[in-house]
Amino acid sequence: MRRHWTIGFTLMMVIALIAAACAAPTAPAPAAPAPAAGEGAAAGEQPLRIVHFVNGVLGDKSFFDSAQRGVQRVADEFGAQTKTIEAGIDPTGWEAALIDAAANEEFDIMIVGTFQMVEYLERLAPQYPDKKFFLYDAPVNYEGEACAPNKCANVYSILYKQNEGSYLAGVYAAAMTTQDIEGMNPEAIIGSVGGQEIPVILDFMVGYEQGARDTNPDIQVIRQFAGGWNDPAKGKELAKAQYSQGADIVFQIAGGTGQGVFEAAAEDGRYAIGVDSDQALIIESANPEQAARILTSMMKNVDNSIYRGVKLHLEGTLPYGTAEALGIAEGGVGLARNKYYEAITPDEVKALVDEAERKILNGEIVVDTAFR
Amino acid sequence: MSLEVVLQSIFSAAFIATVIRVATPLILPAMGGLLSDLGGVINIALEGIMLAAAFTGVIVSGFAPQWFPGAPAWSYPWLGALAGVLVGMAMGWLIAFFHLELKTDIILTGLAMNILASGATVFLMFSFTGDKGSTSTLASARLPSLQIPFVNNVPVLGTLLNGENGTGYNIMSYLAFALVAVIWIFLYRTPAGAHLRATGEMPDAAQSVGIDIRRVRYQALVASGFCAALGGLYLSMGYLSIFQANMTAGRGFIALAVIFLGNRNPIGALIAALIFGTASALGTRLGTMAIPPQFVEMIPPAVTIAALIIYNIRRRARINAAARRFQEQTAP
Repeated sequence: MRRHWTIGFTLMMVIALIAAACAAPTAPAPAAPAPAAGEGAAAGEQPLRIVHFVNGVLGDKSFFDSAQRGVQRVADEFGAQTKTIEAGIDPTGWEAALIDAAANEEFDIMIVGTFQMVEYLERLAPQYPDKKFFLYDAPVNYEGEACAPNKCANVYSILYKQNEGSYLAGVYAAAMTTQDIEGMNPEAIIGSVGGQEIPVILDFMVGYEQGARDTNPDIQVIRQFAGGWNDPAKGKELAKAQYSQGADIVFQIAGGTGQGVFEAAAEDGRYAIGVDSDQALIIESANPEQAARILTSMMKNVDNSIYRGVKLHLEGTLPYGTAEALGIAEGGVGLARNKYYEAITPDEVKALVDEAERKILNGEIVVDTAFR
Repeated sequence: MSLEVVLQSIFSAAFIATVIRVATPLILPAMGGLLSDLGGVINIALEGIMLAAAFTGVIVSGFAPQWFPGAPAWSYPWLGALAGVLVGMAMGWLIAFFHLELKTDIILTGLAMNILASGATVFLMFSFTGDKGSTSTLASARLPSLQIPFVNNVPVLGTLLNGENGTGYNIMSYLAFALVAVIWIFLYRTPAGAHLRATGEMPDAAQSVGIDIRRVRYQALVASGFCAALGGLYLSMGYLSIFQANMTAGRGFIALAVIFLGNRNPIGALIAALIFGTASALGTRLGTMAIPPQFVEMIPPAVTIAALIIYNIRRRARINAAARRFQEQTAP
């Protein structure tokens, strides 16, 4: 009897171990090692070595995938040696995985993202003063205690003015909701579904609402939060609730939860706005009827920003030790003007969006932010 | 949103449709959990089984055109559902094997199954689709909805019977309600049901009258895997048309709570699942007003806890009243 119990317990442990290994491994994704023609790989010179540390997994169809595209582009164009480490979805393992990566990998630049990693990077970066770090979508606190040893002079933080891009989405949605288009009702009501009530997401919403009100002062903008990023069923119900209350366009800012918003749009014959990547183009092959319901996407061009950062690094002009906020002007954010957008949008609405974009660029419009 | 619009959307037939949609993935696993719990082997792997079945259904239906070239297109969702159900039953059998043959702790076994499912689905999703987030780039099939003919022209009835788009409820929603009735009849009107309850209530007594409790428990756990698998298939092939990592989002655990809230009775569990569904639907609709989202998110659990408290107060009052009557009758 006792032996049986021991065997059973051992088996369970093995299964749990296998499962844990599957769930959160630091699985290096294959990178492009061959140094092609590029500025970084001059004869006799070491190619630039880059490690991309993902605190999650790739395949989110938006944020991390965009960052990975940027890293890939750097590898292709500058001949950099890149390696991607996925730390898995369990936040408790992230700091240890980051420390391991810094200690065991050979790199010149380590690229890390999201505000969840700020604290860990602040502790790590001063220990490697001769290495460089990028942090996207959050700033380290350069004046803070953790950064004190070298004031994080080797960390370049990238912020995105998602409020500017969302302003355009708001202008667009407010102009579209009263158009005479199949699926739009006459009521001036639009919606938004956020993942969680955190500063970055509020920054999207503040811009979206300001853009909508500047276009139509009487508009109502619904703001809702799903309370998580991996519950598409919840996202679908939230969108359906908003559609049932008169909204005809819902802006999803909820990662995986937002895929439920697209399902609701296709089912109810209404519309959605995607986020981070050009989401209509990503899902169009598998779900053409959903793709046709995504009017546009508010893109956060993490890929561009990483490419730009590495380029400036190679030119020697990247401002390490500071945080840079990239807006429309720097190509950090923008609306996806894909074939669906072109096909459904009336010319006067296109003109309105272009006008708003121009005004943001020349400073006539200053978009509010949720940060301070 | 103004209160008027919100109230309008709550007191509408479409609201009932929402409740049914939200409650279906709770009712199905709850029925499975109920069977195993009454058999004395609680199955806390409902969440993991749902996830594994949801994944299997999407993958098999999505790859069916390649894997079964001869099969007609209408069969793809059913092939997926069949595979999902088999995986669910296999996991139920595995739990039974570990617990009954190898004498592992039933709770730990269930926990291990949940961890296994959450990791293995992501791992296999990556192997099959090259994607670790979701299967949104895989064209997977959907289980059909059943539309009741002729009622769509009747204003309220049409929405009530066929949902807000008039396309009908998913076949799994009908199955969920049917399953409640079937399980009630099984438990209280058949000898096998009585054997199952006896096995859970007092295994020694059941064994002494010749019930093979090991076999009953095997069957209970396999059946619970079957029901939970249906819940998972509904999520990924009916409610939605994708699989996403950890998309069950705790529904398997809510289903466990629903069993106990429903006093370990199929009708009770159905009512509890509907209460929870109503509270969730209420939350999504009230959330459009300018009230803090934290408050809205509190509604489903708060309503559930309140219902539990009320139920227990009433039960205690009933027991006290019965005890008093007994004392009065037996008093000299």
